Amino acid sequence: MNKTIIININSIVFHIEEDAYEILRSYMIDIKRHFGRSEDSKEILEDIENRIAEMFSERIHSGKKEVIGIVDVNQVIAQMGRVSDFEAGILEDESTTTKDPIDYSAEKASSEHVDQAAEPKISAANASYFAKKLMRDPDDKMLGGVASGLGHYFGIESKWVRVIFLAFFLFAGSGAMLYVVLWMVMPLASSRADRMAMRGEAPNLENFKKSFEKEIDEFPALNSRDTGGRAKHTVESVIGRILRVIGRILGVFALSIISISLIGFFIVFVFSWLNLSGFHTDIMFPPLLNMETREAYFALMAGFLAISIPFMSLFYLLLRVLFNAPKMNNYASLTLLTMWCLSIIAVIYFSISTSHDFRETSTIKVEKPLQPATSFVLSERDVRVIDASDEDRSKGRIKAIDEGYSLRDDLAITIESIDSLEKPFIQYNYTAKGRTFKQASDNASDIAYKVKQDGRNLIFDSHFLFSTDKKVYRDQRIDVKVFLPVGTSVTIMNNMDYKVRNSVWIHDCYPGINHKSTEWIMTKNGLKCATANPEEQKDEKNEEEGVTSES
Amino acid sequence: MVAENTQVQMRKGILEYCILSIISRKEIYASDIIAELKKAELLIVEGTLYPLLTRLKNNGLLSYNWKESTSGPPRKYYEITEEGQDVLKKLDVTWKELLFAVETSLEHRTI
Repeated sequence: MNKTIIININSIVFHIEEDAYEILRSYMIDIKRHFGRSEDSKEILEDIENRIAEMFSERIHSGKKEVIGIVDVNQVIAQMGRVSDFEAGILEDESTTTKDPIDYSAEKASSEHVDQAAEPKISAANASYFAKKLMRDPDDKMLGGVASGLGHYFGIESKWVRVIFLAFFLFAGSGAMLYVVLWMVMPLASSRADRMAMRGEAPNLENFKKSFEKEIDEFPALNSRDTGGRAKHTVESVIGRILRVIGRILGVFALSIISISLIGFFIVFVFSWLNLSGFHTDIMFPPLLNMETREAYFALMAGFLAISIPFMSLFYLLLRVLFNAPKMNNYASLTLLTMWCLSIIAVIYFSISTSHDFRETSTIKVEKPLQPATSFVLSERDVRVIDASDEDRSKGRIKAIDEGYSLRDDLAITIESIDSLEKPFIQYNYTAKGRTFKQASDNASDIAYKVKQDGRNLIFDSHFLFSTDKKVYRDQRIDVKVFLPVGTSVTIMNNMDYKVRNSVWIHDCYPGINHKSTEWIMTKNGLKCATANPEEQKDEKNEEEGVTSES
Repeated sequence: MVAENTQVQMRKGILEYCILSIISRKEIYASDIIAELKKAELLIVEGTLYPLLTRLKNNGLLSYNWKESTSGPPRKYYEITEEGQDVLKKLDVTWKELLFAVETSLEHRTI
């Protein structure tokens, strides 16, 4: 039992079997393509169609059948000739014309006979296979069948093409771009004839049979793809072989990159999570510090999902392509997609909301007098080292540090000069950001930082605290300015070096790094080296005296 | 490959001459031309014939009439025009020249 199609050639109606129609259609397409270039194409095509119609009706009138079958179509095509025969101009195959002339119009010519005659001509016209067409394969597709189409074209298994695409996707997504473009450009091989042209099989009876049988074979096992088989019966081109090797290398390479990335993401995720829960770990995703803890957990989760889901799917896709892993079921993939979209939305939301928290800046300036002294020693106390014997420490502060309150060291210390008659003082500039100016100033006022004076010792804490429970990072900074009268001598302990860098250049004076402290003297123009160069020092002193006596 | 190319060229020229000659005898249908050519063992497929006929017709060497057919659509019957006859006569002369040239060239060939 066969399905038939009704066709109309030059106003004459024929019933034709479906498979026969496919052959005829592909033949007509070939002919149109061939003559499309010449001027009289319309007339020639009309003549040919007319003649085909005539031959069909001859068959129907002479025989007792009503339907045109594959045998009829193949015989008509043999008589009309293939495009490759037109190119040659004349049937010139010496062996067939002289020794064994084939009467194509003979009604009883067996189909095999026709095929055998057709086959050598084709192989003579095209090196080893019938002209292949670059088309998308609807039978073997993951997205649009582009990869399998390319695979057919180059005679390699589609999975290697897929691997190459996926690998290029890793390089700034260029694979995806290329894929989309090819998807748009390549036509879909919708009919059987198209699919045969795509595989480079001549659209004749034997190949049609083969294609049909293969389809039937494949039917029970829907999932099995003809990946192994194709390479066998298609001649593998050199390009194909190269592409396959490249595909294999890139595939393994991409798989390892993706898995390493995934492991990396997971490690960052776990450590950041631990960090948010109060464990101090080395790995932390800094922007999370800017958020409220509760939000930060969400943001971390969302960020992790947003970045790892695409990698996971890429990983899985590669596995599928390389090792024929089963397809992920629809629910799982849909769930993943939804999760990914949600996490992307969350990430965008958190980014915007967090950036808004930094919109306004506020600075609070506080000036405190210092007890006058002729010399000062500046030293740093590392607040992270708690000296239990130190009675000065208030219990509250120790507790605060225990609870993991944010310690920041965005601390700049500058030492500036004032007139020698004035009293030394210290100026604190507390700066912070916030969603509104009010919040910014609140955040600024929450900063707790004081310099302790103990006689001539000025002790700077290494870090500052946010004094209230709003301990989130809002770009809190402290700019401490120490104003000292001209003539004051200053000793900077070496643990302070890096914090006073913007006011003195330690290494100008002390090229070595093995010093415990550095000696300076305050002049009108700021701190000057006190010991390194005695000559200069003397001059400066004279100059200073001159200045002071004048004033 | 070289031989094939020359063969194709030779046949192409002769084919037109033969077709014109066949048509000059009487009004004739395309597939009958094929049959005649087959008899002369100059085998071509019909697909080659139609473009050739169309070109000869457009050059004014041929004309055609539609005739009803018992089996199928109406047929184009080709006949030669006066211009075609003139061309054919010129071709006859050329052919004889060629024939002489070839025969003379082949006369004392040893291989």
